[in-house]
Amino acid sequence: MKAARGPSLTRHLLAWALAALTLVWATFILFGYATGEHEADELTDGHLASVSSLLLPLGPEALRGNGRTAPPNGRDFKAHDYQRSLTVVSWDTQGRVLARTGDAPMPPFTPDEGFATLALGNPPEPWRTFARWDPEHEHKLMVLLSEAERDDLATDIAGQVIEPGLWLLPVVALVLGLAIHRGLRPLRALAAQVHALDTQGAQKVEAPVRFQELAATVDAINRLVDRYHAALTRERALANEFAHELRTPLASIALQARGIQDTPSGPAQQQALARLQEDALRAGEVLAHLLALARTSRAELDEAAETLDLDALARRVVSEFAPAAHAAGRELGLSSSGPFPLSGHPVLLELALRNLVQNALAHTPPGTQIEVELDPAGGILQVSDDGPLRTGSPGEATPAAVQPLRLGLGHRVVEKVAALHGATFEPDVPLPGQRRGWRLRFNTQRELQA
Amino acid sequence: MRVLVVEDDKGIAEGLAAHLSRAGHAVDCTPGIAPAWRALTAEAFDVVLLDLGLADGDGTDLLRRLRQAPAGRLPDPATPVLIMTARDQVSSRIAGLDLGADDYLTKPFDPDELAARMRALTRRLAGRAETTIRYGDLEMDPAARTVRRAGEPVELSAREFSVLLALIEARPHVLSRAQIEAKLYNWDSALESNAIEVHVHRLRRKLGDTLVRTVRGVGYYVPAEPGA
Repeated sequence: MKAARGPSLTRHLLAWALAALTLVWATFILFGYATGEHEADELTDGHLASVSSLLLPLGPEALRGNGRTAPPNGRDFKAHDYQRSLTVVSWDTQGRVLARTGDAPMPPFTPDEGFATLALGNPPEPWRTFARWDPEHEHKLMVLLSEAERDDLATDIAGQVIEPGLWLLPVVALVLGLAIHRGLRPLRALAAQVHALDTQGAQKVEAPVRFQELAATVDAINRLVDRYHAALTRERALANEFAHELRTPLASIALQARGIQDTPSGPAQQQALARLQEDALRAGEVLAHLLALARTSRAELDEAAETLDLDALARRVVSEFAPAAHAAGRELGLSSSGPFPLSGHPVLLELALRNLVQNALAHTPPGTQIEVELDPAGGILQVSDDGPLRTGSPGEATPAAVQPLRLGLGHRVVEKVAALHGATFEPDVPLPGQRRGWRLRFNTQRELQA
Repeated sequence: MRVLVVEDDKGIAEGLAAHLSRAGHAVDCTPGIAPAWRALTAEAFDVVLLDLGLADGDGTDLLRRLRQAPAGRLPDPATPVLIMTARDQVSSRIAGLDLGADDYLTKPFDPDELAARMRALTRRLAGRAETTIRYGDLEMDPAARTVRRAGEPVELSAREFSVLLALIEARPHVLSRAQIEAKLYNWDSALESNAIEVHVHRLRRKLGDTLVRTVRGVGYYVPAEPGA
């Protein structure tokens, strides 16, 4: 048997694990970026404040140097990634610019102090500023940093946090894949075992299972194998029984035919002819049973169920068998309290009842009283006999017209018909007065509902 | 050949008995395991035709019991057994043969095929591969039940043929009258006390005095080599 091609569980698990990992990773990246930005904000604000604290006591002269302004572009001195280009502007109380370094557009003069974000230049760009007056309130210092530059810093920091993660992700995926592959090894081993099971030979999953999740599966599989094998054995036994029942009369027919061919006409030939006819009829009877049973296996039978009166059916069967039974020294009677309505299949129920009556006639000694009993209230159909009370060997002087199936096979036929009607078959039930009964118990509740 | 048919179907049992009797075999029929075991314990049979699905159990039980019986007394564990059954599955055939059956025939079967298989069984038991038996200028064909002497056919009755076949197959051992009777007659045969003497007498008349020798008070034998 070839394995059905489907998605691989390993790949499925790996995909889920990687998706989960990527999600977690992405969250970390977002947090990292947000943290980087926040820290960059803090850092630059702190930087602006520090620069103002440093320059303020020195006064505007410190910015002017030796009579010249500081280099207009701080970028010329850039030596470090985190070094920012700051612009510093100093005003007097009148708002006149005393000194200015850096390349930021000129901010408007206001008496306010502290941090602010100003839109400067044309087109306007955001700048982060920090302004302070000196303690004497004679001049004001403002330190400016381009927000774009600050964002670059934040991106840089966040990038540094994220980058190892991006490199690591494929490695982690590979390791994860190997781990999952190895972790699923017991499952693969179990799948291989289950796949190689020979259900015909009732082979079970024998290897010990270490994991409780798999143990339950193995238990279920083994139970199924047991059940399947039991059903298979039953079916085989039934097939064997039917083969025996059908081939026996055919073998007899072949022998009798040869006998007729080889012997001159006379009593011996007549006897062989009679036997031939009997065997042919018997083969026909077995075929009828076979066909009826084959039909019971068809699901559409459920739809073919009809309401019938078991009482009338039993009367018909009893009256059919009674003459042959009486001729062979058995008494066959019916005991019924009235109509027994039932939803079912008349042909199959008649088959079951005929089986029970035939068995009772064929497997009891002469003198036996056989009773077909019906109890509509209890949902019971029963064939009973007082065979144990009688002397003589069972089957002695079996009525010629009665060709029972072998006991085991007959019972299986009855069982199957009973199961189809939701009834139970109870064979050989001891009854008062040393009688014994073969009982079909119908589910009256179900019948009432139906 | 003495044949025991273990078969619970009356039609088959009677049909087999009639057919095999016409072929010159002595046939006894039993319907179940218990009477079959009694028969095997009481007498030696040349072949057992065994049905598997018997009323009182499975025929394989009888086969198993027979093969496990101690050698040297009845029932003879070496008795050839041919299973004739309705079970046609390969597994059933294998199981039957593994249990010690010598052959397996599925019902329904051709009566001639059964007879041929029985002959093959006895041939195998006697250790010969040829289908005919040669003894000097005598040639016996168990399948056709014919005898030729120097190429000329010799008319023998079914019983005479069976006596000759029994003695030639057993040569050079002496067979008692009872042993020869057991191969020729079933339980139901009304046997006259001098029946075997009569058959031997007729054989000597048709085939010459030197073929079948008498051991007085014991029985008859055919020498190992012709003219010995």
